[in-house]
Formats: sequence, structure tokens, C-alpha cells
Amino acid sequence: MTFPGVVALDDVSFSCEAGEVHALCGENGAGKSTLMKILGGVYQSDAGQILVEGQEVRFTHPLAARQHGISIIHQELSLLPDRSVAENIYLGREIARFGMLDHAAMNAGAERWLQRFGCRFGAGRLAGTLSIAEQQIVEIAKALNFDARILVMDEPTAALDDAEAERLLEFVRQLRAEGVAIVFISHRLRQVFAAADTVTVLKDGKLIATSRKSETTPDEIVRQMVGRELKDYYPAREGNGESAASALSIRDGGNDAIKDINLDLATGEIVAVAGLEGSAKGALARAIFGAQPLTRGTLQIRGTAVSIQTPRDAIRHGIGYVSDDRKGEGLALQQSVLENALLAARGIEPLFASTRSRRIRELRIDGALQNVEVRAASYGQPVGLLSGGNQQKTVLARWLALRPPILVCVEPTRGIDVAAKAAIYHLLRRYADEGRAVLVVTSDLPEAIGIADRLIVMREGRIVGEFPAGAAEEDIAALAAGHAAAPVE
Amino acid sequence: MSVSAASVTRFDPLRLLRRIHPAYFALVVLLGIVTIYNPSFLTPTGIMNFLRRAAPLCIVSIGEMFVLVSGGFDLSLGSLITLTVMGSALMINNDPGLTWGAIAAVYAIGMASGLFNGLVVSYLKVPSIIVTLGALLSLKGIALAWSGGSPQGYLPDNFRQFGRMTLTDIPVLQVLPVAVIVLVIAVALCAWVFHGTTFGRLVLITGDNPRAAEVAGARVRGIRIVAFIISALSAVTAGILLGGFAGPAQDVGDGYELQAIAANVLGGTQLLGGRGSVAGVVAGALTLTALFMVLNFMGLPKPLRDAVQGAILVIAVAYSVRRRKWG
Amino acid sequence: MSASIPALTAPRERPGSRISLVPLLIIAGSLVAYAIAALVTGQMAQLSLDGLIGVLQRTVALGIVALGQTLVILVRSIDLSVAPLVSVGAVMASWIMQGDPARMIGACLFVLALSACVGVLNGVIITRLMVNPLIATLGVGLVLQGILSASFANFAGSVPEEFQVFAYGTVGPLTFSIILMFALAVLAWLMLGHTRLGAHIYATGGNQEGARLAGIKTGRVTVIVHVLCSVAAGLTGLYLASRLRAGAPWVGRDGVYDLESIAAVVIGGTVLAGGRGGVWGTIAGVILFGCLDAIFTMSGVNAYIKQVLRGAIVVAAVAAYAYRTKGQVA
Repeated sequence: MTFPGVVALDDVSFSCEAGEVHALCGENGAGKSTLMKILGGVYQSDAGQILVEGQEVRFTHPLAARQHGISIIHQELSLLPDRSVAENIYLGREIARFGMLDHAAMNAGAERWLQRFGCRFGAGRLAGTLSIAEQQIVEIAKALNFDARILVMDEPTAALDDAEAERLLEFVRQLRAEGVAIVFISHRLRQVFAAADTVTVLKDGKLIATSRKSETTPDEIVRQMVGRELKDYYPAREGNGESAASALSIRDGGNDAIKDINLDLATGEIVAVAGLEGSAKGALARAIFGAQPLTRGTLQIRGTAVSIQTPRDAIRHGIGYVSDDRKGEGLALQQSVLENALLAARGIEPLFASTRSRRIRELRIDGALQNVEVRAASYGQPVGLLSGGNQQKTVLARWLALRPPILVCVEPTRGIDVAAKAAIYHLLRRYADEGRAVLVVTSDLPEAIGIADRLIVMREGRIVGEFPAGAAEEDIAALAAGHAAAPVE
Repeated sequence: MSVSAASVTRFDPLRLLRRIHPAYFALVVLLGIVTIYNPSFLTPTGIMNFLRRAAPLCIVSIGEMFVLVSGGFDLSLGSLITLTVMGSALMINNDPGLTWGAIAAVYAIGMASGLFNGLVVSYLKVPSIIVTLGALLSLKGIALAWSGGSPQGYLPDNFRQFGRMTLTDIPVLQVLPVAVIVLVIAVALCAWVFHGTTFGRLVLITGDNPRAAEVAGARVRGIRIVAFIISALSAVTAGILLGGFAGPAQDVGDGYELQAIAANVLGGTQLLGGRGSVAGVVAGALTLTALFMVLNFMGLPKPLRDAVQGAILVIAVAYSVRRRKWG
Repeated sequence: MSASIPALTAPRERPGSRISLVPLLIIAGSLVAYAIAALVTGQMAQLSLDGLIGVLQRTVALGIVALGQTLVILVRSIDLSVAPLVSVGAVMASWIMQGDPARMIGACLFVLALSACVGVLNGVIITRLMVNPLIATLGVGLVLQGILSASFANFAGSVPEEFQVFAYGTVGPLTFSIILMFALAVLAWLMLGHTRLGAHIYATGGNQEGARLAGIKTGRVTVIVHVLCSVAAGLTGLYLASRLRAGAPWVGRDGVYDLESIAAVVIGGTVLAGGRGGVWGTIAGVILFGCLDAIFTMSGVNAYIKQVLRGAIVVAAVAAYAYRTKGQVA
């Protein structure tokens, strides 16, 4: 299939059986989304056929795909926040008698789905009040309500922490037992290997390999995705021998979301913050950055007490912030890559300073973008055209050029392919080694263990423990969960 | 998907042509038509007079651009113009000594209006459409109440000079209307602010993604307020020029904000924010002025000219949406 | 990248019990203010049943337009062509009727059909040409107003007495027009809450892409609501022609139907972003404006001052609701 200027998919053959879980892996731009959208009727392929249960079909509209039993669950959830769960599940398939909606029947039907999945919320809840994990379940129920026999899921666990992801995979296994065919796209290889029967790797629009899980290993998949050995995925930690100074220190910090926070960040270190849904680890990052400021306690930067009430305060005190929501909070998609990279610098300049003031020129932002290896036709291009990985690198370049002594990152590699992830880990390591403090909040435990010098665990708004580098994943997960297998609902 | 580092090495005239905004083409065509109706148009005097006529709309359009680029709409500018003209006439009442005081007063009123709009949008979170529609009503009401419903007072010459006076015996240009001098100063000032200062870049980002601007440390609320103040001040300036042309009248400003928005759309400003250019807006305003001159020559009554403007608004936006899809 | 849909600031009531308190509070507040004004200015007659009916009577025109506007705003669109369309409806009605009762039905059908066509035009420009709804309806409105003002300078034609029954005829203490407005409100409420179209309207406004992926023809839904809104505006034009005995090209603008219908909808709890809200809030908003108008009249306020205050009050009323919006507003 060809888009203007780009061949997105070239002679890809793919099959999935009833009761099979088939994972689809590949770097961003490898063609996974395109394949999925063809399956789902959003695009029409230029060549080749789609066979459902042996019969050739052609989809001109997503609804046609749905009628053949193919349901796609996109990464951007398509729920209506102000409508009830039942109304969402029956969207487009409302039950009506004599033209009037039968709310009772729809509510009853929705309740049946929710019970089947063991949900703790009712069909009358407004979808916008549910957590992401709960919303995802409603999406699945909605898809199944359309009698889906083939379920395609795009990065279903990207926004979930490990415990929720495991729950989701449980459903997937349940569905597999019922004979549903499931295709899912994921960057998180441990989940791929936990749930999938078969793994297909795409690269640059071509099929590289389709293997049964038993015949391959995660390293092999990575090699197929990237096309080469990915050595040193996580950078080596080297103490630079200098004594570290205190960069940031919080005592008895708290606000509505977090309490009793006592935290120290020293120069030269990367500290990871891990925790499950509800741990409020994101809130800690936002508190440090002033987006959701502390209302209690003291915050000191390099030994001096400061008050940080807004992001502007934080930037002026030398704190940078890489948000987990790069499209919503990080980037202005229509502006050029260059302008986006200069954004933080501009934010604190005097309003009527020249755009080419000495401060801006001295940042040498071009160089920063090149260092970070942002790949784009030109830096004057709108940043919205870049891949997720390059967009994230642009945000990083913004801060690496400004060189704030403290950098806070939240889910820095979410939704980014493997090679770009490795690049970002190395950038962060180098940044810390240059004498700065980096705080990384992440839901990806292996990532946290891989890059951090110290790992802090949060639970329900409190810091509950700390681990040194090299700690065992089970111990960390147990502490995060509170030593009991608490159902996350 | 990553885009490989390719550069356009071939000179492609068609591509270059497509990148120039259609407003410039339309302008050239319309100026051609105007010349057909009025052959003395393409003389220095003719062009200067054209610029003088277009000056108020150009100035208001540039002011409106700041608000549009920041993601809002300012629909109160026409009423502010009316208030400026009527208010000046009432305050001065043919006493030339009061002129400068009155001018200071109307600028103060404009500042207050812009500040009010900006504060309500930024702090009270009322959508700018509603605030400025309300201001449209209220400002007009103030003008009417103040004057008792019909144009009162009189504007002396030292006020009207801005709109009316023309310097003569200038080399090359032959004549130079004061209005054109005001226009050039206004355009230069706004071009510097928009394209050459941090503020201009931040306005673009505020319109594109206000949350990202905030997280990057920009004072988004202040930026919006300044944008509204700039648009209000531009309306006052245009009002002073218009008062010079025509004297007080209660509908002097009617519809100016819509014309300003049309000029912006023609000039490539993106509604709901994120993209704009001063040169484009000026071209759009000149195009619109030329169009109205042509319609006037054709004998179209005023209401139908308004109808044409409505149609242009829709067509221009539809076209720019199409264009963005290809580009 | 955010994979969640925007969450609300606080858990809300179950959709089943959609009769929320806010419209009732608004109506109660307005009536209280009205009563106070009547007492203060000594116009006790206004407190009688006749007086209250009079207030309701004055809300009918805005009310019908605002009901249509509610539907449009629910799909995240807007309609700024309603004021000129009201004028067109009024003028066309009286001009075609020319005082002849035999022409009444024909004229009404023509006006409603014309309004429907304008609605289709609005809808198509928005959904096919992808023009911003603000600009699309503003432009269409300008074209309508321009053509109308160019063709008619003053009152045109007249309506026969039989037609005036529409505005002045009574059933018991209530007039036909008031009953009509409430009947339309009930119909709209039923449609929104209990039909597929209603569910699709909320879906299109709440998450257009999600609705499309669920197979809902969002383009068609948008055109339908624009047709309903324009027909409502045409109907109001007919009503005004009936009240004023003839239509003039400025009745729409004088009534400020564009701003006030939007304001009534927003005050009533329907958000401009679409997907949430309903008709009873709009009716409450309309009653609020009716009471305000009556209060102004009772206080003998100068017409121009009234205009100043109208603008300020609309903004204030919306602000009272809006300041709790989290995040940015442009």
C-alpha cells in the first residue's frame, strides 16, 4: 500500500487463527498501524487480499470490517466521556423498540459484560470518571458487543502499569480460550512474550519473520526489529568519582495527591520513581515542576529554600520537565521543530526581547537537535510530522540545550520504538554524568531498573521504600503492591 | 514515520507558485480590474489614495490577527471604532485644543476594553466569542447612550487631519496621505512585534497548544491579554482615521470586525490559532478593499456588498482548508 | 502520549436521572429577582398570572431559536445565521401572505422549506467543505441578511388576522405560542434522550472520531441538527410576523437572537465543546433572559443603556458558569 511518497506496506502476508494471540512488532514507521488500518477498513489496500474465515472480503468503511467481526481498539480510546458505560458499549448498536431507545435492555446487557470481566463499576457510571484501565475494558466490551471474532489491539498496555497490564492480558487469555482471534501491537516485549502465541516482525513495510513464541527470544525479536544487534540497551553506570552535591531536597512535602514526601536528589545521579496506578508518582513529578504544586513542606534547591507554584518558577530555578503527554503538553504540533526546541527558552525570556537575542543564539539549538539525532527533512518542518520518537527527542533537546541542573521526566519512552528508547536512555545517562540530577517517573519496571542509580517506590501517594541499583524486580513489584496481591480496580 | 533528510534540489516553478498565497494573486487581479474601471488608478496619486482608503481596514486586520493567532476571536472591534469616533466628536465638540486630550482618552478607553476582554477570557474562562459579542453590544450601547442616539459633536480639522490630510509635492510618490504614514508605522511596528520578538512566537504557540506554552513557562494569560489590547488599540487607531474621512456616524464601525476576519483568512491566518503573517494580512486587507471598490463600481448596493463579504469568508476558509490538506 | 479520554473534574450523577437541579435553580432565581423588581418599582400588576404569562410570552421567540441552537451546540457546532434567518422568515411570510388568509399555509410551508434549505447549506459547508462552523454560519448569515436588506427596505406585506391567532390566540390562560414552545421542548427532550438520533447527537459532539469509528454517520447527524436549528429560526420568524402583523428585515438583529440563544444554551449547562447538556437548561436560560427584560422594562431603563446591560449580563451569566472550567479557554 502506498501513500504519497512512501510505500507503507510491501507484500506483507499475515494470518491469525481463531483462539490464537498474534503479536505484531516493529519500529515506528514499520507499517504496523497501516496493516491494522487496512484490516479495520480505515484504509483500502492497493494490492493483495483480505480473507476472513477463508472468504475474500473488501472493506470500504470501518463499519464493514466490524460487520465481518473485526474490531479494532485504537490507542486513542474512542469512548464518550459524558455518556454512561452502557451508552458507550451500545454506541452505534443501540437497542430500540418502535424508534425509542430501550435503556433498560442496554443497561442489562452492559451489566452482563461488566460482570463477565469482573468489573467493580456499574453500567450507569459516566465513562469519563473511570481510570484508563477501566476504560480499556469498556472498549473491549464494546468491541465484543459487536460480535467481534477478531480483535485487533493497538498498544493496549502502553498506558498501564505492570499489574493492570497483567489483568488485561488475563482477559486476552480468556478471550483466546473462547475462540477469539487476537492481534496486538506492542512495544513491550515482556508482555508480548507473556501473552502471544505467535510474533510477527515488520520493518520498513516488509515482513521480516513470523515465529512461534517457543521458537524465538526477545533478543531475537529486537534484532529483527532494529536490523542489527542492539548492544548496550541500557547504558553502563559509571561513578565519575566526584562527590555529589545535593541538587533538590523535599521535606514533609505534600498536596492533595501526595503526602509525607522526603526526597533527596544529588548531582550525577538518575533516580527512578516506580509505582502502580494510584501511587501518584506522576503527581510527585508535577509537584516538583510546579504544575500541581506542593501545599505543605519545604523544597530546597542546592540548599536554598524556594517556592515553586508554577512551571515558570520551576524553570527559573533550574528544573526541566519532560511530560508524559507530549502531544497535549509538550509540543505545539504546527510550529517548527526549531521553535518547539526553543520553547522553554522563549517561555522565560522577556516578552519583547528579540527572537534572535544573544541568549537564544548561544543555546545553539541546531547543535542540540543534532546531538539528540532528531531525524527530520528540515528543522523548519512542523514538528507534528515527525515520528513519536523524534518528537520526544525534540522535547529532550529543548532541555538539553538549556542544561537545567534538575531534569524531571515522566514516562520518557512511552510509545517509542526500541532503538529510540535506547538512544534516550543513553542521553539521560550522559546528562546525569555531566553533573546534573535526573528524576525519571516510569511505569516500565525493567526500564526503571535498567537506568536508575536509585529506585524509589511509591504507593497511594507516599514514598514507601527505596532500592539501590541492581535490585530484583519481584521485590520492587511486591513493595509497590503492598505485599499483597491487591486487585487494582 | 521518519522523513529522510532530502532536499529539494530541482527548481520546480509550479511548486513555488503554489506556495505563494492566493491572496497575492487575487490582489493583482483585482487591481487590474480596478484599473479598467478607473485608468488613473495606476498612478502614484491613485495608489496612494487607494492605500489611504485601505488603511483603517489594514490596521484593524493586523490587530485582529494577534487575537486570532492566539486562538480567539475579537468581535468587538467594529463597535470600538464607532465608540472612538462618536466619543471623540462629543469630547472635542469643535474645540481644537481638546483634540490631543480626546485622542489620549479614546486610547485609554481602547486599552480598558482590550484589558477587559483579555481578563474575562483568561481568568473567567468565558469563550472569546461570547465576551467580544457582548462587548460588541455594550460598546455600541455606550456610544449610543452617550450621544443620545444620533451623531453629536463635531470633529475639528486637527483631528481629521489624520484621515484626510495629504502631503503634496513629494518626489516620486507625488502625494503622501498622513493616513498612509500611520499605516506604514502601524504595519512596521506590528511586524516587528509579531515576527521579531519573543512575544510574537509565544502568541503562535499559545494558539497552537496553550498547555504546552504554559508548561514551558510562558505566561499564557498575560499573552492573551496583550493580544486583546493590541487589537483594541488598532481599532482605536483605525477609528481616528475613519473619523477623519467621514465624521461621526453611528454605523461607522459596523461590520469592521468581520471584514478584519475576512482579511485575515484571505491572508493565510489560521482560525483557532497557530499560524499567521503580517504581510499576508495586509495583502488580504488590500484585496478586500480592492474588491469592494470593484463592487462599488459595478453599482452593487451596500447590503449586497455585505452578502458578497459573507460568501468570500466562507470560500476563503474552505479554500485554505483544502490547501492545508495538500500542503 | 495520552491514551485516556479527558476526565471530568468530579463524578457526576447517573445519566438516568438527567433532571439536574441547575435549571430549576436558574428559573427560581430569575423569578425571585423579577418579583423583587416588581415590588421595588411598585408594579404589582406584573406579579399576577397575566404578568407572568406576559413574561413567558416574550420568551417564546428566543426560546424556539434557543432550542434549535441547543441541538447544534451539542454536536460541537454553532449557528450564527439564526438572526438573519428569523428576519427572512418574518419578511417572506408577510410578503407572501399579503393579508390573504388563503395563502397562510402556503407561506408557512415556503418559509419552513426555505429554512430547511439554509440548514442544509450550513451543514454541507461545515461537513463537506470542512469550514469552521463559526465562519460558515456567519458567512451564510451575512449573505442572507445582505440579500434580504437589498430587496426589502421596510416592512413588507402583511399577515391576515387569522394568522395572528398563532401569536395571540389562547387556550385557557396560556397562549398557543407558549404551548408550542413547551411542546417543542418536550419533543426535543424525548428525541435527545430516547431515540437513536439523540444518542448519535451526543456521540458526535462528545467524540466525533469515536462516533465515526462506531459507524455513526456524523456528517449526516450534523446536517440534520443544522436543519432543525434553521427550521426553528424560520418558525420564530413566522411567529414574529404573526405578532408584529408584518415582517421587517431588522427583526432578527433587533432581537439579538444569535448571541442570546448561544448564551441561553451555555447558561443552561450545555457546553460549547459539545456532547453534554440538554433542553431544559436552555429553557431556564431563556426564562432568565425574559425576566431580565421584564425587569428592565419595569425599571424604565433607557433603550441604549439596556443594550449596554444586555451585553454585560450575557457575559456575566456565562462567566458564572464558566470560571470553573479547568484548563485553557480561548
